[in-house]
Amino acid sequence: MIETEQNDSEKKRFFKDELESSQETQLIFDKSLENKSSFLFADHSVEDVPKSQAESVIPEGNVTMQVFCTELKSIIPEMSDNICEELYNKFRDSQDRLSNAITYYFEHYNNEKKDMFDQTPSSPAPAASSSSSGTPSSQWLFTQSKRRKTYGERNIERLKPNIRWKRFIGALQVTAMATRPTIRPLKYGTELKLLKTSSSPKIYDTTGRKKSTMANYVRVFDNKESRELGRFSEDIAQTIYPLLDTDEISFEVTMVYCGNKRLSIGDNFILQVDCFLSSLLFDSSKNGYAPDVNHDFHRRSWENSKKGIVETEEELQRRSRTTALISLFDKLSLRPILKEAEDTEKINKSFTNDTEVIDLEDDETLDRIMSQDSEALEATTHNEDSMNLNQLKNFYNITQSSDSLKILPETEPSKDVFKLELRKYQKQGLTWMLRREHEFEKAAGDDKEIDSNMMNPLWRQFMWPKNMSWTAQKLEDHCEDLSEDIFFYANLHTGEFSFEKPILKTMTRGGILSDEMGLGKTISTLALISTVPYDSEAIGKKLFKTETALSDTDETFKRRPYASKTSLVVVPMSLLNQWSDEFQKANASSTMYSEVYYGGNVTNLKKLLTQVKNPPTIVFTTYGIVQNEWSKLLKEHKDKDMSEPTTGLFSLDFYRIVIDEGHIIRNRSAATSKAIMNLSSKCRWVLTGTPIINRLDDLYSLVKFLALEPWSQIGYWKAFVSTPFENKNYKQAFDVVNAILEPVLLRRTKQMKDTNGKPLVELPPKEIRVEKLKLNKSQEGVYKLLLDRAESSVRSGLARGDLLKKYSTILVHILRLRQVCCDVRLIGTQDENDEDLLNSNSFFSQASDNDIMLKDALSESYECNFTQEDLDAAISRLQEKYTKKEQLKSLECSICTTEPIKFEKLIFLECGHPYCEGCLAEYFEYQKQKKLNSKCPNCRLTISSNRLLTVDRNGISDNITFIQYNNNPKSAKIAALLRHLQQLQDSSSGEHVVVFSQFSSYLDILERELSEFLPAKTTKIYKFDGRLSLKERSTILSDFQVKDFAKQKILLLSLKAGGVGLNLTCASHAFMMDPWWSPSMEDQAIDRIHRIGQQNSVNVTRFIIENSIEEKMLRIQERKRTIGEAMDADEDERRKRRIEEIKMLFE
Amino acid sequence: MHNNPQETERLISDPVPGITAEPHDDNLRYFKVSIEGPEQSPYEKGIFQLELYLPDDYPMEAPKVRFLTKIYHPNIDRLGRICLDILKTNWSPALQIRTVLLSVQALLASPNPNDPLANDVAEDWIKNEEGAKNTAREWTLLYAKKE
Repeated sequence: MIETEQNDSEKKRFFKDELESSQETQLIFDKSLENKSSFLFADHSVEDVPKSQAESVIPEGNVTMQVFCTELKSIIPEMSDNICEELYNKFRDSQDRLSNAITYYFEHYNNEKKDMFDQTPSSPAPAASSSSSGTPSSQWLFTQSKRRKTYGERNIERLKPNIRWKRFIGALQVTAMATRPTIRPLKYGTELKLLKTSSSPKIYDTTGRKKSTMANYVRVFDNKESRELGRFSEDIAQTIYPLLDTDEISFEVTMVYCGNKRLSIGDNFILQVDCFLSSLLFDSSKNGYAPDVNHDFHRRSWENSKKGIVETEEELQRRSRTTALISLFDKLSLRPILKEAEDTEKINKSFTNDTEVIDLEDDETLDRIMSQDSEALEATTHNEDSMNLNQLKNFYNITQSSDSLKILPETEPSKDVFKLELRKYQKQGLTWMLRREHEFEKAAGDDKEIDSNMMNPLWRQFMWPKNMSWTAQKLEDHCEDLSEDIFFYANLHTGEFSFEKPILKTMTRGGILSDEMGLGKTISTLALISTVPYDSEAIGKKLFKTETALSDTDETFKRRPYASKTSLVVVPMSLLNQWSDEFQKANASSTMYSEVYYGGNVTNLKKLLTQVKNPPTIVFTTYGIVQNEWSKLLKEHKDKDMSEPTTGLFSLDFYRIVIDEGHIIRNRSAATSKAIMNLSSKCRWVLTGTPIINRLDDLYSLVKFLALEPWSQIGYWKAFVSTPFENKNYKQAFDVVNAILEPVLLRRTKQMKDTNGKPLVELPPKEIRVEKLKLNKSQEGVYKLLLDRAESSVRSGLARGDLLKKYSTILVHILRLRQVCCDVRLIGTQDENDEDLLNSNSFFSQASDNDIMLKDALSESYECNFTQEDLDAAISRLQEKYTKKEQLKSLECSICTTEPIKFEKLIFLECGHPYCEGCLAEYFEYQKQKKLNSKCPNCRLTISSNRLLTVDRNGISDNITFIQYNNNPKSAKIAALLRHLQQLQDSSSGEHVVVFSQFSSYLDILERELSEFLPAKTTKIYKFDGRLSLKERSTILSDFQVKDFAKQKILLLSLKAGGVGLNLTCASHAFMMDPWWSPSMEDQAIDRIHRIGQQNSVNVTRFIIENSIEEKMLRIQERKRTIGEAMDADEDERRKRRIEEIKMLFE
Repeated sequence: MHNNPQETERLISDPVPGITAEPHDDNLRYFKVSIEGPEQSPYEKGIFQLELYLPDDYPMEAPKVRFLTKIYHPNIDRLGRICLDILKTNWSPALQIRTVLLSVQALLASPNPNDPLANDVAEDWIKNEEGAKNTAREWTLLYAKKE
């Protein structure tokens, strides 16, 4: 900075004429400037640098007096030779002799100086010079020096009693315009004042837009004569106006130059405005504009949930104030220290270079500032553009994780309350969780500070500039009184200031435990609950509370009763039992127990939790219940005043709330999310393996749930996260997110290494194999038909450009294709679990009604099925005819004349005639081709391929049982699955197998087909989907896990119902019948099996139909993995991507 | 479609009295068939040569059978084609070569002039059954003499 200014010193404002007339001296002057690096701060170095030291570094000790005089005269031409000589003798040994001499001159040769001023009126009007590119540094030099002159003339302004001190932050040199003529020229150094002309002008109109200029309201006053002098330009006024009269920031204005003539209206004159921060700003109790963050309980009033956001007058003022602050800091070139400086030496070095009076009129200074800014901007934006999902992932991996494994001590839960053994990292997690709840005495380690050292990202660190104010120049000790503080911190967005480093403090007790799936979030949470089952702080108060609650007469008692001994755990329905099972397993205390709040089994929750002596430690409930109660409340209170609910979950303050799979609430406008947010508790925990599913904003719900002030206010979040992110300012957004999450989020992944370099969890290997299959004939026919139709629909959509309007239609097309890949019979079933169809059911049924072709293709083999009566009759006929097993072994197929018919291939018609399976199939096929009716070849009874019977080969007893034969050709996937299952059973019996599908009707079909084909002696089939009741779920899961070496256990699992949370480590084989859109869903499903506790290597087989839509889905999955779904912030982009995906499907 | 060797084998090893059927050496689907005229029928003592061809779709489709020997019969035309329901609409895969030939033999025993194929013969048969039977006997002697 200094160098540039030195080199640029061409003109000096005050002495323009003289300089122009003596180019020679100018050169010399320049030379001297170049040689003196600390020239500008000469007056300080005189005081600071010991003389001996100064002498030793004199570069040109033998500069002659003549040169010195020439130099001096070039600066002060009217200086007499005598004085020059005197000064030379005095300062010849000084390092900064020139500046010192000048200083001395102005200090001691007062009269001469006056003379000088008397001469200057002949110089051109300063109005011109202020806008010309005059050099601020040289000018500044003189004003600096001259200031000493005014020493005695100034009144010391008395601070108001509530302001302990004020401290200089910078000075501005400002050009003002005279609004009143003055009688005499204003004296150099005259103290002036800034005043608001009107106390509360209407600057903003009702919409919050500025309607008048602030320049109208800021006036420069002559302090002594209380007389208006002039006004500022709008730019300056906008900075100053909102800050006037606040006591927090004060301005001292000094007349610097008015051309030494009387001012007429419109004349420009130059002022120095010294800016000070007052102690008021730093009084933490009065931290100005910051929202109140000290909530003990995060309770939201009913009104709040309904109120829209309107900017009030006060908020408007606040906003203009903060804008002004930012602009002031900008103008003062007061820059935050980006890397927190810790090296004090470094600081001291830079200290002296830091401050100067900023001359806003100087274009170069401005340019420089601008270019610095834009350079910095470029540097950052360059990196940010390439930020993608993976970086985001890394980003929150880095936040905590690896460090936590080294730093965190381990807390072992007491064996008296917690039976299970925790892993090392889980113990560390427990420490962290305890700290997050401020339970330091229970947590291991001495650390009592839960918050890390992270600075609040909205705050910036600033260094106090050297006091260069006008007043400071005359009272040299003035600036030293606060010198122990080198830095201060400011949040320019809110107008908060502090001396302390603003550590990111979160009042919230709780946080986000975001360990990867399978690392035992459940166990960690249970350990936490067991270790701190109740609020010890509330125990004393509790008695009182109960009494108050009992005396219901007290109307003013607004607070919800405090269930201080209970943690509420909200989980997806499928996990309800798993949680309570885990708790039973872990709980070692006789006094702790859990209650499931589901299906109306607890009649009076409030009573149970607050008025019973030993309330349950944990209440488990589901998202559904919470949402249900909430919507009921909303309905009840629709018209009436919002009063506190009297029963249910919302009538209580819980000690702790844990929401499992917390990403469920990621959509903050969803009913469930709203309901969850409105639950009230002291501690709040979110458990989720995937805090971000689609967008950065997913996090907002979690932040809001945790009430992480101020981020939980949507305005803050929008301003600091969403908007920067949308503007592609990723770094800022992520920085803020990082800062928000850092203290409250703990995430460990399976790959992370502990201190010994071992991975956290060593899981057996898993192998995922894609098995490509071909559709069978009937599937293929239907598939082709549907594909044609889908393609033409997409093509026409693309051609017309309204593809997305028909999105749901296309989704249905796609869905049908996917269904055919699984099984033709899926078409037409309205699978309640299929998200694609949720909104398009009506369309679907309507379309299929009109769809004769499709119906034909489908119906042939699936119509005219047995009624139950027919079936029973046929079975009893058969049983009469064949009473002994031997009979079945000598039957002849009259078609192929084979005798005996192979037992496995034995099929009976209704009439009782036996045939080979194959012969009969052939016959049906032939008759169909010839469009002839099928009749029993023997008795000519009309028969149907759907009315066939066979012997139940799985029958254990010797009795012959006949069952209906299912002749439908097995779909490719079912056939493949059967093959695998049989192979598996042959190679090792008694395995547990999990079969995933997203279509619950497919699970039905699978159940039927598998049970027909696989002998019941060696197979047990379980089905788990959304239709099961809670009780059925738990029975199925516990049965499935029992090992039976004789039986292969097969669990048919619906993705929606069982994709998350379940622990199925007893199985090591899985089959994925159909691909999902989102690869992470598949990963989740696989992780049901591949997780802690898995002993064997895991084999996963994914069935994919060759050359079908499924293969393309795989490609889209791949794409999603690489592009990342988080970047979908932009609606347009999402739209584009969807179209691309559809194109991919049909190309 | 299965050309059932088992059935052929059985035809040879366990022949029906009065009926022979031998597959052709070059084409196992092609059978040379001879049927003895049933006793107490106008065709008694005659031996009738037939050809039988198993189509590709056998046994889903009926075999094709034709008289090579001239015969005077209301249900068999001059070209030797036979009007027999099981060879047409009433075919069932449960029927076999053996049963087909037995049916043909039975047809010789009881002609059905009400469902004729050779109309002139049928007319003759209805008008003058004895005369028609005599003609049939003559034809048998004439064309279907043993050796």
